Parts: sequence; C-alpha cells; structure tokens
Amino acid sequence: MQVAVRHFNVAEYYQMARAGVLTEDERVELVRGEIVAMSPIGSRHAACVSRFDMRLQRWARERFVVRIQNPIRLDDESEPEPDVSVLKLRHDFYADAHPMPEDVLLVIEVADTSMGYDRDEKAPLYAEAGIPEMWLVNLSEAVIEVYSNPVDGAYSSVRQVARGGVLTSASLPGLSIRAEDILG
Amino acid sequence: MHVAVRHFNVAEYYQMARAGVLAEDERVELVRGEIVAMSPIGIRHAACVNQINMRLNRWARGRFVVSVQNPIRLDDHSEPQPDIAILKPRDDVYFEAQPRPGDVLLVIEVADTSMGYDREEKVPLYAEAGIPEMWLVNLPEGVIEIYTEPVGGVYSSVRQVARGGVLTSAFLPGLSIRAADVLG
Repeated sequence: MQVAVRHFNVAEYYQMARAGVLTEDERVELVRGEIVAMSPIGSRHAACVSRFDMRLQRWARERFVVRIQNPIRLDDESEPEPDVSVLKLRHDFYADAHPMPEDVLLVIEVADTSMGYDRDEKAPLYAEAGIPEMWLVNLSEAVIEVYSNPVDGAYSSVRQVARGGVLTSASLPGLSIRAEDILG
Repeated sequence: MHVAVRHFNVAEYYQMARAGVLAEDERVELVRGEIVAMSPIGIRHAACVNQINMRLNRWARGRFVVSVQNPIRLDDHSEPQPDIAILKPRDDVYFEAQPRPGDVLLVIEVADTSMGYDREEKVPLYAEAGIPEMWLVNLPEGVIEIYTEPVGGVYSSVRQVARGGVLTSAFLPGLSIRAADVLG
C-alpha cells in the first residue's frame, strides 16, 4: 500500500471553490495537483510587487496585460498565481478563460522567505510549461534571478541582476527597469 | 512567505464528497488535515484482514462491533480508515455518528508496503487520540507489533508477536488469536 496525498485537477479545484470548501478570498494556488496555502504577504513583498506593477504598466502602455497575483492555467493540475504576469493583449482581458502558457510572456515571483520553494518548485513548473521568462526576486539577498530559454523543462539560461544592474527581457521589447527601483 | 499544503477539516472533507470532488468509493482518508490516497489492497493484505475479521467476529458474538475499513473520527482534522476497528456497543449501532476515540477499543492496520508510513504516522495518530491499543501487522516480516498504553501522545508499551505467538488484548477479554492464522 503506497501512500500519497490525494491530488486534484483544475476542475476539482474549482468544484471545491463552488462548494465553499475553498473561500473566494483564500490565498491558495494549485501546484502539480496540490493545493498550496500561501502565507500573508509581507510589507516588503507587497512594496516590491507594487514597484513592478507601476513600472510595467508605464512601459506596457496598454499593449500588454499586466496582472497582479492572478491565476495562470498551466495545465490540468497546475494553476499558480504568480506575483506578476505579463500577458499578450487580449481584448476580453481574459474574461472568458484564464491565461494559458502561450499567453504568458513573463512571470515574476517575489520571495521573502520562500526562495527555496520558488527556486525548486516554481522555476521548473514555469519552465515545463514553456513560459519564456521568469524573474525571481530574492528580497533577503537583494538580487533578481532572471530565468529564460526553457528547454526540456528547465531554464537553460540563468543570470543574476543586483543593485546597479538593469532588468531587461528578450520577450518584452524596450523594457528596462533599474534593479534598485525594485529592490528599494 | 511560508509554503504548505492547504489542510482540510472533517466538515470540508465531507463537503468535498457531497460536491462530488471525492467519489463515494474513493479510497482516501483524512490524516492531520491531509487527504491521503490509499493504493489498491493487495491479495495478502486482503486475506489477512479477512482472517482477522472472521476470528474477531467469532469472538465478539455481537457484544462488540467489528468495523472493517471504515472511518473513525479522531478529531476535527483526522478521520482515518483503519483496516479493522473494534468498537464498543452503542445504542445507535453507529447509525447516527462516526465512532469517536472513546468508542474504539482496538485498531488494526495491515501493512504490506506501508510499514514506514504506518509506524511513523498512524501509530502516533492513534496514540495521540488515546486509542487504547493498536496492532500493526507487518506482513513482509511476518510479525505483529502490539502498541498499548498511550501516554502523552505515544504508546508507552510495544511488543512483538511472531508466527508462533498468540495475540491477546487487555481490553478484549477472552480474545486469543494465533499469529500464524493471520499471517498466512
């Protein structure tokens, strides 16, 4: 008798929300069939997300959709809620369906205490889904890890941007954000 | 941001069943807020349960309830389904509510491949709930571990009964089962 936690697919996950098992404002995400609880967002984490939001919106000028802490449907068993996602412009603003991997140009995760989890679980999750780029903000060490070129479920390129550096993206033309504007 | 799997209480667990997220014949149990999936029951496991069940019912002669692979409500976050539980007689014959720890005299878990899980998770779970006695049948090694006297969340007495021995219980007067009969 092998023992494992029961996994849930996206349909079951939403069934649980409709049934009231998961409340609408509950901070959870579906990661490889597991319903993961997220802790409250700390003030540094929140500020970092707001800084990205302001700069990304300014750059996007309505050519892209910039979303904060909203779901992305990666596959039948994963629907994470990255801190920030930059999506292709769609005129319904994804009202009919959550963004799928091919809609996503960049995801950003901000880690205050969750670096290990984000690096070991989230980076491979996004890489396997073929998300072209992921930025992982390591707040405690004040560095941003830029993951790109997903190949066979892993990002083949990783570089670090520290204070003094500038964040740019191959998939987001003209974007340029100074690291200290994000790290504070 | 600390990361943990979302836990469920018993009410949510049943809500999931009512909503159809968990199917009625699904082999799951609730252990410390986690919905644990159980693998199919192997041949030896099934035979062992049947042998014990037959002998317990013969001994009980209607004075106790022998409950096979049915739930026990330990607390708000745990409702395991031990292979066998011996329950005190109750006026409602357990039609109105699941057995609670105070109703349970003995639980038996049969382990074919799950010894590690049963020893590390199930034994403390039953001890913490104050279940007076637990038998853990270790099929691969042909031995039965008898846990008794739960004190401070652990069974303070453990003994082993091998093939030539006889199983008896302090709480089940007159019960006597030869180990060889249940080990096959």
